[in-house]
Amino acid sequence: MNGTMQKEPFRNNRVWFFAERTLVYALIAILLFVTLAPLIWVFSTSFKRNEESISFPPKFLPENITFDNYKFVLTDPGLVRSLINSFIVSIGSTTLSVVVSALGGYAFARFEFKAKNLIMSVILGLFMIPVVINIIPLYTMLSAAGMLNSSLALILTFQILIIPLNILLLKNYFETIPKDLEESALIDGCSRFGVLRRITIPLSMPGFAIAAVLAFRFSWNEFILPIVLANRPDSMVFQVALYQFISLYRIEWGYLTAGITLAIIPVLVLMLVFQKQMIRGLTLGAIRE
Amino acid sequence: MNMNKKVSFTALFLIVSLIFTMTSGFVFPVSAQKKQVSLTAIVAEPKERWDLLFNTALQKLKQKHPELDIKLDYRVLPYDATRTQILTAMAGKTPIDLISADQIWLGEFAQGGFLTDLSDRAKTWGRQSDWYQTNWDGGKYNGKVYGIWAWTDIRSMWYWKDLLNKAGVNPESLQTWDGYLAGSKALNALKAQGIQPMHLVGASHSPDMWYPYLWMLGGEILKQKSGHPTKGTYWYPSFNSTRGVKALGFLKQQVDAGIKPQVSHFWGQEFADRKFAVMLEGSWLLGTFPRDQWPTINHKVGMLPAFPVPNKNTKSTTMMGGWILSIPQTSQNKDLAWELLTTMVDPSVLTPMLQKEGYLPTQKPIGEGPYAVKLNATIPYYKEMISMIPTAHSRPNIPEYPQIADSIKQAIDEVYYGMKDPKQALNDAAAKSAKALGW
Amino acid sequence: MSNIFAKAEPYLFLTPAFAILLIFLIFPLFWNIYISFHDVSFITILKNWEYSGWTNFVDLLNDPNFYTSLRTTVLFVAGSVALQFTIGMLMAVLLSQKVRAAGVLRAIFIIPWTISAVIAAFSFKFIFDYNFGILNYIFQQIGLQPVGWLSDPNIVIWSLVIANVWYGTPFTMLFITAGLLSINPSIYEAAVIDGATKFRSFLRITLPLLKPFIVINLILITMWSVNFFDLQLVMTGGGPLFASTTASLYMYRQAFEFGLLSKGAAAGLILIIINISVAFVYLKLLKR
Repeated sequence: MNGTMQKEPFRNNRVWFFAERTLVYALIAILLFVTLAPLIWVFSTSFKRNEESISFPPKFLPENITFDNYKFVLTDPGLVRSLINSFIVSIGSTTLSVVVSALGGYAFARFEFKAKNLIMSVILGLFMIPVVINIIPLYTMLSAAGMLNSSLALILTFQILIIPLNILLLKNYFETIPKDLEESALIDGCSRFGVLRRITIPLSMPGFAIAAVLAFRFSWNEFILPIVLANRPDSMVFQVALYQFISLYRIEWGYLTAGITLAIIPVLVLMLVFQKQMIRGLTLGAIRE
Repeated sequence: MNMNKKVSFTALFLIVSLIFTMTSGFVFPVSAQKKQVSLTAIVAEPKERWDLLFNTALQKLKQKHPELDIKLDYRVLPYDATRTQILTAMAGKTPIDLISADQIWLGEFAQGGFLTDLSDRAKTWGRQSDWYQTNWDGGKYNGKVYGIWAWTDIRSMWYWKDLLNKAGVNPESLQTWDGYLAGSKALNALKAQGIQPMHLVGASHSPDMWYPYLWMLGGEILKQKSGHPTKGTYWYPSFNSTRGVKALGFLKQQVDAGIKPQVSHFWGQEFADRKFAVMLEGSWLLGTFPRDQWPTINHKVGMLPAFPVPNKNTKSTTMMGGWILSIPQTSQNKDLAWELLTTMVDPSVLTPMLQKEGYLPTQKPIGEGPYAVKLNATIPYYKEMISMIPTAHSRPNIPEYPQIADSIKQAIDEVYYGMKDPKQALNDAAAKSAKALGW
Repeated sequence: MSNIFAKAEPYLFLTPAFAILLIFLIFPLFWNIYISFHDVSFITILKNWEYSGWTNFVDLLNDPNFYTSLRTTVLFVAGSVALQFTIGMLMAVLLSQKVRAAGVLRAIFIIPWTISAVIAAFSFKFIFDYNFGILNYIFQQIGLQPVGWLSDPNIVIWSLVIANVWYGTPFTMLFITAGLLSINPSIYEAAVIDGATKFRSFLRITLPLLKPFIVINLILITMWSVNFFDLQLVMTGGGPLFASTTASLYMYRQAFEFGLLSKGAAAGLILIIINISVAFVYLKLLKR
């Protein structure tokens, strides 16, 4: 019986609709303001000449807009080198973590095995460790292996920040996909791995998109680990190199803010690029049943 | 067909690798003439000073050793990271050839076995007498030389001449405690313009700015005492003496006079931006003014080479900071590293850097000798700042110092916020420090 | 034959993850546990590590500053988690409401989290400054008294909470968005036909489906707030009067400023236990 009784006609009122829309957009506007306000000064200072930047009361609009700061940051060989390092490490780390976490998450989502809860707890428990107390043992380990100042070492080390998170995320995701889709493929002789690859993953694209963004962000932003494990000038990552502009007695505001603004871009772009994947997931989900 | 492909591919691969290994001698020739030496250094920010110093010193070093191909890899890290990096490098037994050590780290590093004993080398070098006594001693621990104090800074009183003029305050009067407090009151009118009269340090380094008052009264931070549970005779807190209480009392008087402790510190920038009329700050304050203003800065900015004293009969003093150059135990090129070090502190190499950065020397040839002329001409108030060095004190360089400083900072905060009186606060801090020292 | 393989399958899938975590997390953990029972500091690290039993833990528990830091941690974490979760949830839900350019907005909302923690802390240090800061400047312009954001011991922890909320909320938004995207939209159609309001379907349908994501999210953001110390270190150094020293900052200072690695490790272990307990509590409470 199709319940067509309009239980609450008021709700379908046009006025209510617009009120709701206004509320939504108003809230978004407030959040937008709060999000961007602290950065306005950063952004505007990046276009000011260094001498102009430290003035009080703060001036929001630069007197002479200059692109010199960006030019400097983008052409200084040391900084460019560090940018490249950051990309190598972040992309490598993202790829590795997504692959590893997909496998692990799938295991937790689909299998029942004896040590399941134990292993899940251990992984979650390990994630609870504050990174900073691991610095010395990690350093000694990598030093003994001769892997200091290497991108590979950073890629592997950063996994400790990401894998447990992504395993849990993807596990949750896989669990929302109906088992029967996989069952039928399995019956048809497909391997577990094949099922994962051909059925489960394509249906979990939004999850993967977000897992990738998370992994990239953690790798891109990391500061404490690289500054200890990879501080040779040619193996520095961007965040570490940026910090050179903040020295105790003199801050190069122009370069620093230009660097900060540039550092924001990759994760932002990744988010924008992956929006498609996220939306795709919606439509696929609809097709599901 | 497939099999053949595989075989030929493998064969090709093997042949190529063989050729590669045989000819790598030609492609990447090992320099038969020069021996390659690579030196690594870990130093603290800011970077510019090291670029200048290492550049010149390295060139000279290379000239002295044409038979070597010397490469220098120096890492410039933030203060905290420098300390962490040195520690982790030592723990991981990474070969490092040169480090910049903050003077307060020296005892800890020496005690931990991180540093090379340079006493013999220093003796042969023979330049000990060139150094100001306190600065030379600052590089020693338990009687041995572990580092050379390369440059220093002192803290003095800076003021805006026009602001004091307008309020009718004679700068000289600020040199006594009473005069300082009176001056603060007279300058209160500035608050309406958003300018604070006096600056009072409430940030983490507040003990540094309190010690001069303790020292000028004849007090000491620590004293040797016998009867230590494990060490026989060891350091014991003496900063909670009556002199210490009196010294802390002056800080309390400032707070009572309406001077606000500043929790954030911008290392002189706040003075340059005219947020304060008077500020006790380090000689690096000059760095916050553009270099082209240095020649005429004494028209606008005045400097008194003193911390306020309780009465006219007391001699003022100040606290010295700066950096020590040391050679870690893990270095595999100790002799060469020592040569680099001594080259870096050679007046001809060091002076241009000091001139550019505005740091003060720890050696007499640069402080008073022929090189002084150059610095005198370019650095404002140079002579006055140098005059403070012989009577300046430095902090203890023992391993437990950071904990002691932390307790003292807590005591200062408690007085600032009116939670304890100076005597109580210092006694509590002394109890904590004694515990940290193992008593 | 294939039965053995089938049994081993899950373990095979988990091997890569476990291998990496084993090397890079378990070894350091054991190292920390080991040194927490010995006397290891900057000055003894290259020498004999004397066994010291429970001394480090006892010292910690006897240190009034440690207790203060735990209290401060509770305030910091409670405030941060409550706000991060509420605002993040709000953001995620708002942007799933057929809003124009939702994708772009999501990307913009994520920006605070893309800055490295140290730099965010640095920015807020300036914003909150009593004399220089933009907040007090605005306050004074509109006639309000300037506030000691970082200099008033009673307020400083809340300033840190504000900075932490600004910085960390995007994660909740992302994670909850992931959850929202996993929900099959056709479920809503059935509800709408039955006449349910948006709000009711949110409560009855969305939230329960989001539960696994919400639980994990809460566990993670709580843990990250407990472990976080970069903000405190850069913005206030822990002061004034230790009012902004959380247990995480206490641990960092013991280990790296005072060189007392064993004490730092002991504090770290206590933090881990706190984190695990909190996770346990969350799982128990929300696993109904």
